Amino acid sequence: MSLGVRSSGLVLLLGCACGLAPLVAPPAAPAPPAKSAKPITFNRDIAPIVFRSCAPCHRPGEAAPFSLLTYSDVKKHARQMAEVTRSRAMPPWLPEPQELKFADELRLSKTEIDLIQKWVEQDEVEGDAADLPAQPKFVEGWSLGQPDLILKAEKPLVLPPQGTDTYWNFILPVPIAETRWVKAVEIRPGDKRYVHHANILVDRTGASRQRETEPGAGFGGMEIRIESQVFDPDSHLLFWKPGTIPSVEPEGMALRLDKGTDLVLNTHLQPSGKPEVIQPSIGLYFTPHPASKFPMLVQLENDLKLDIPPGENNFVVTDNFTLPLDVNLMAIYPHAHYLGKDIQAWATLPDGTSETLIHIPQWNLNWQAVYRYARPALLPKGTTISLRYAYDNSDRNPMNPNHPPLRVQGGNRSTDEMCHLWLQLLPVNFDPSEGDPRMVLQEALARHNVEKNPGDFEAHYNLAAMLEARNNLEGATAQYRAAVELRPQDAAGNNALGAALVAAGHPAQAANYLRAALKARPDYFEAHYNLGFALAQQEDFAGASEQFQRAFELQPHDASVEANLGAALAQMGRYPEAKSHFEHALQLDPNQPIARENLDELRKETNQQ
Amino acid sequence: MGASLLVCSALALAQAGALDLEGHATNPLTASSNKVVVLVFLRRDCPVSARYAPAVQQISKRYADVAQFWLVYPDKTETPQAIRKSVSEYGYQLPVLRDPDHVLVKASRVQITPEVAVFDGSRRLIYDGRIDDWYIDLARARPAPTTHELEEAIRAAAGGSSLARKEVRGVGCYISDLE
Repeated sequence: MSLGVRSSGLVLLLGCACGLAPLVAPPAAPAPPAKSAKPITFNRDIAPIVFRSCAPCHRPGEAAPFSLLTYSDVKKHARQMAEVTRSRAMPPWLPEPQELKFADELRLSKTEIDLIQKWVEQDEVEGDAADLPAQPKFVEGWSLGQPDLILKAEKPLVLPPQGTDTYWNFILPVPIAETRWVKAVEIRPGDKRYVHHANILVDRTGASRQRETEPGAGFGGMEIRIESQVFDPDSHLLFWKPGTIPSVEPEGMALRLDKGTDLVLNTHLQPSGKPEVIQPSIGLYFTPHPASKFPMLVQLENDLKLDIPPGENNFVVTDNFTLPLDVNLMAIYPHAHYLGKDIQAWATLPDGTSETLIHIPQWNLNWQAVYRYARPALLPKGTTISLRYAYDNSDRNPMNPNHPPLRVQGGNRSTDEMCHLWLQLLPVNFDPSEGDPRMVLQEALARHNVEKNPGDFEAHYNLAAMLEARNNLEGATAQYRAAVELRPQDAAGNNALGAALVAAGHPAQAANYLRAALKARPDYFEAHYNLGFALAQQEDFAGASEQFQRAFELQPHDASVEANLGAALAQMGRYPEAKSHFEHALQLDPNQPIARENLDELRKETNQQ
Repeated sequence: MGASLLVCSALALAQAGALDLEGHATNPLTASSNKVVVLVFLRRDCPVSARYAPAVQQISKRYADVAQFWLVYPDKTETPQAIRKSVSEYGYQLPVLRDPDHVLVKASRVQITPEVAVFDGSRRLIYDGRIDDWYIDLARARPAPTTHELEEAIRAAAGGSSLARKEVRGVGCYISDLE
């Protein structure tokens, strides 16, 4: 029986851990110049820095606007390079240094930055050719070799030459006949020079396709939300930013793709001055080994507290979540829009010590990224993860989309704000007899959200759905009731409460809520179905058959509705009609158990007569 | 100051000068009738230059009656063919000059691409610098500019108002890196 729509509450995003790393062993960091004041030279001192930290993007076909592969390339941008390295605009790396190291860190050392400054001051000497290290070698084409399956956006997007940034979602159906396991994903976002970042959402519901005006066209929007009917939490952060080189997922952590799944590529595109054609593709690398470890994406957030007055230059939002079990923290993805200023997250361990998870003192949406930790960090049960985001809605924030500033609230448009922190957590040291540890995590998170926002319908609804999935019907019913009290007219809330009451053996109470759901939405398939069920439990078979009939009209290909309709008619003694419904149900689904069993019974009785 | 600059510019241009894409020496200050002259300095490998193309084209159209725009490429390694291709891709409909010896760069006092120089009817340099304040630095651009220095300078030059010479440095790529 359908238990109604459940929201996973997940808004976004996610993917493979990717990072910037050259495919050759990086040259060692340059030695500081000797005290004998030998002039700094390109070949000896600067080339190693440039080859390691600049060339992965600054080469043909990559994201950067010019190459930095030779002395003359670098000389043509020398002062610019001195300036952007001094300001740390390049290489793009937002987090401050911290104890918990990130993989593929792009930050230059102070020594490296000083060397570049001095080289430019000393008139950019080329130096002895013998000192020049070998040119970096990069893999051409797909970084991990030919993918097992390549998906290409059906229709390209033509990016206009000017205007504000474009946020576009390409839908790429995955043509597989059965469930496959993916060990690596390579995102080719189209022309890399104009794509600021891209990330993949796994849509197992087909909901995103509904948003296209025509198949393959894609749709606009910075943030998208995919609701799930079942507990099937997202597991991977599949993210591309300039310079990303894909990596293979850790052993046992393959991504599941089912038949019928769509990958939605959410892209941030920046006009270049001329029209650009953007047509992304995605390469999938399969493994025969199903996942044996199940990470989960957990979101801390506090969007409901975002109501930033115009002119406010330090609006602070926090959230704190205490872990119900031990986890390994694998990766982190902070997200805010244009007013974000100072972004911090830290963990307070049970022994009182605290560990910085990330600190970005000058947030820049254009360089947002997923950050993988160099090694997974164990956070024991009882650890509190905290976020603190500060926002600047004054005129002093040049990225402010409103000039003069306006009141800004939480929301999905790029001119709204967000306060999100995604964490990729792998539960460890858990007792399997207590069930799926991800459910333990999700329930704790849902409870936390109810405590944080007791007046929020969705918080109660999501906690209820989680409790229901864990067979805590009493708890689920109480939370659905709280949700319905907040929104008495809500069709989905009333239907879910009704469905939970049916499951808990209270069909009479359930019928009231299911009728309320149908009053709000007369063509609500699930509510008709559930009401039919509730009435049948009260032996009102006439009422039940009427509801199943209505449900069947709404979804004439649903075999279980047909079977239930047949069963209700059989209960009323209308056997010939019942038989034809059972037969039709079996045409729709030859394995429909109710239809099969009842039809057998009917035939036996007919034979005995 | 204005007078001596005018003399300098005139002398410098007389000596060498910029080239059109056919290789003919061209002095934009004498080849623009009595209109205001706007020199727009660009580098093909500068993404900020590129992103300004639609705005430059629009402003040049808006002031076509009073101002003659020229695109100036100061990179001596650039070929006319490559420049021609780029100009066409970006939809420019403006005359183009190469300035391999940086004669126009010096006369205009520009330092960055993209920057502009505005000369009034008597060929006095009245403004050099950014087009507007769209870019804050190389990592950040505003959603839209909030100042419009180029347009203000064209209006002042066309109106003959005796404004003090102005300069506001731009954000982009250093022309001195090309020397």
